[in-house]
Amino acid sequence: MTMTRRQLVAAIPAAALAANLPRGARAEDGRKVVTFWFGQANSDGQAALRNDLVEAFNAAQDKYLLQMEVKGAAVNNLLKVALVAGNGPDIVQTAGPAYLTAIANAGQVLPLDDFAEKYKWKDRFLAPLLNTSVYGGKLYALPRDYESMHLFYNKELFKQNGWKLPTNRQEMEQVADAALAKGIIPFGAGNADWKGVNEWLMTVFFNNVAGPDNVRKALSGELPWTAPPFVEAVELSKAWYNKGYFGKNYFSLTIEQSFLQVVNGKAAMALSGTWSFGTKSYGMSKPDTVMDVAPTPSLGSAFTGSLVHLACGATLSIAKTSQNAEGAAAVFEFMLTRKFYEAMNRDWPGKWALPVKDLPPEMLQGIGYPLFEKTIANLHEAFSKGQYGFTTWTFWPGATNSYLIEGIEQVWLNKITPDAYLTRMQTLFSQEAREGKVPPLPPRTA
Amino acid sequence: MWLFALPALLINICIILVPAVLTFTAAFFIWDGVGTPVWAGLANFQNMIADPVFWSALTNNFIWTVIFLTVPVCLALVMAAALLMAPKARIVVQSIIFLPRIIAVAVTGRIFQGMIFSPATGIVGWLNEHGFSISDPLADPDRSLYAVAAVDIWHWWGFLAVVFLSAMRQISVDQIEAARLDGAGFFALFRHVLLPGIRPTLTLMLILTVIWSFQVFEFIFIVTRGGPAYGSEVLATFAYRHAFFEGDVGQAAAAACVMSLFGLCATAVYLWLQITDDAQTT
Repeated sequence: MTMTRRQLVAAIPAAALAANLPRGARAEDGRKVVTFWFGQANSDGQAALRNDLVEAFNAAQDKYLLQMEVKGAAVNNLLKVALVAGNGPDIVQTAGPAYLTAIANAGQVLPLDDFAEKYKWKDRFLAPLLNTSVYGGKLYALPRDYESMHLFYNKELFKQNGWKLPTNRQEMEQVADAALAKGIIPFGAGNADWKGVNEWLMTVFFNNVAGPDNVRKALSGELPWTAPPFVEAVELSKAWYNKGYFGKNYFSLTIEQSFLQVVNGKAAMALSGTWSFGTKSYGMSKPDTVMDVAPTPSLGSAFTGSLVHLACGATLSIAKTSQNAEGAAAVFEFMLTRKFYEAMNRDWPGKWALPVKDLPPEMLQGIGYPLFEKTIANLHEAFSKGQYGFTTWTFWPGATNSYLIEGIEQVWLNKITPDAYLTRMQTLFSQEAREGKVPPLPPRTA
Repeated sequence: MWLFALPALLINICIILVPAVLTFTAAFFIWDGVGTPVWAGLANFQNMIADPVFWSALTNNFIWTVIFLTVPVCLALVMAAALLMAPKARIVVQSIIFLPRIIAVAVTGRIFQGMIFSPATGIVGWLNEHGFSISDPLADPDRSLYAVAAVDIWHWWGFLAVVFLSAMRQISVDQIEAARLDGAGFFALFRHVLLPGIRPTLTLMLILTVIWSFQVFEFIFIVTRGGPAYGSEVLATFAYRHAFFEGDVGQAAAAACVMSLFGLCATAVYLWLQITDDAQTT
């Protein structure tokens, strides 16, 4: 392959960084090394990665040696640089399809179709998740997990106050107003340590107000983001913020502090994701006598009932320059074993919920966390049936998603109008759609 | 002579000139950081100029510059002069005021965020519980920049005071004694002896302050990430967001060029002052 001058210019800083990485190395015992960079993991997560993945894989076979490095929050940037230089790890983990798009379009990862054929992955993964990694008819990644926004609530507090689990906007606002009247924060929420909390909330507003069909139309370019259903969604988010539904200290509290407000009864509910199960410091327990969780209810007239949101928190690919693609594929295959599923979800719930098709109840029960098991079973059923909304971090392209997160603060703090916000979002989205940066959209059924 | 300069020259070429040229070049391309760059001409600069967030970021950089050219400089000058007059307290006070400088930026940022400004775990929260109605300035887009500046000033002014004190100690003791014998009080001594005596150091620090103010990043990124609602966004956080969250390296490089432009202007002023000084001396 010849390299253009532009590619050469792009590769110079990357090459400088990655020049010293070992390639196609062999361990002392002759096993071929498979390298894997992981992003952020708390202490529980790091222990689970070490015990349930690295050591378990290395003990389960004698051909390959998995070596994992936890790189922290900067892993996406490091990975891009290393891939451009042709020296990335064998296993390329991205933070989801929105991140994978650029890497796959640039041809930095291998098509997995041959491995998929060999290991029958297409028959074993849920199609909506697997299809988010198909570009030009080729499969470039496996989904590492599925996630969704949910309504976490303090069931003790609900019981004490005679509140019922809301099933629509009116009931939700009744509970929220009743909570406010009692000095209880309706929704524990805070983005001081992670601005992405804004998009967690906006995922709920866009999908549950405008409806998942309209969101899908907008993502496929059939409906502009400036259309009335989305204006209503943004206006509702602003109205809730201004009424104090997210408390007075949204910009000051961390995720953990705000979630603990719900567990401690200072707040009634939280709109959060399934990853919350995997963070012990959030205060939930197994079994949980205080907290409960449910899919988010409709907040508009587009649909009735409740909704989960399709999300893939991470994808797994094999680097184009990998010297050990077979070994990387063997790691993926190991992840599909029942033993790994049970161990990883027991030790780090919600972070590695592999979207496998076959998920018998006894497999989930082995995890030993009833609330999590109930949530995953419900999620699995909804995703299998094609009944879901679309999360911003999985399906919105990079610049549009970044603006969604940053710009909504301007709306809530009265710096710009909802119309101006959506107009800017539409401009960015149109440009990124033209450039082919929108991740593939799975179909949904009503 | 050139042989002696060669190692430093090579290092500067490798770690400053080459990245600078690549960054400047990248400003004229559309590049997501991983694919093939595509020539864009001036499009990145045009998009940047059309983006209101760029202008608010640039304005914030100017506000930051004015704050840092005045508040920490004045504090540091007064403290340095006071320490010059009180040699016995010098070692203890210098150690105390220099301490924030050796604490990691991330730690300082988190201390202020969590232990001072936070309404849940900080002094602000404690004051609220005791009847004072104070809100977290980091949560207010109109005050967040000033709140982060306060954190950085706490981290910076002690270092500046130590630099100024070192310069003041180079002033002839005879000159200071003569001024005192002539009846000069603290402020007269400060204005007519100490300030003129440290003028080269003061000029250098002011020029460096201008350069650093257009590069400011760490504290803002750690404490507010440029928010809320872009309230504390500066050019560096603007560039970082474009490069690493939006996959728009070209736009980020264009912003970096603007940052460098102000640094170059400040450097040019410094060189001009040096040349003027040299001409006056000779």
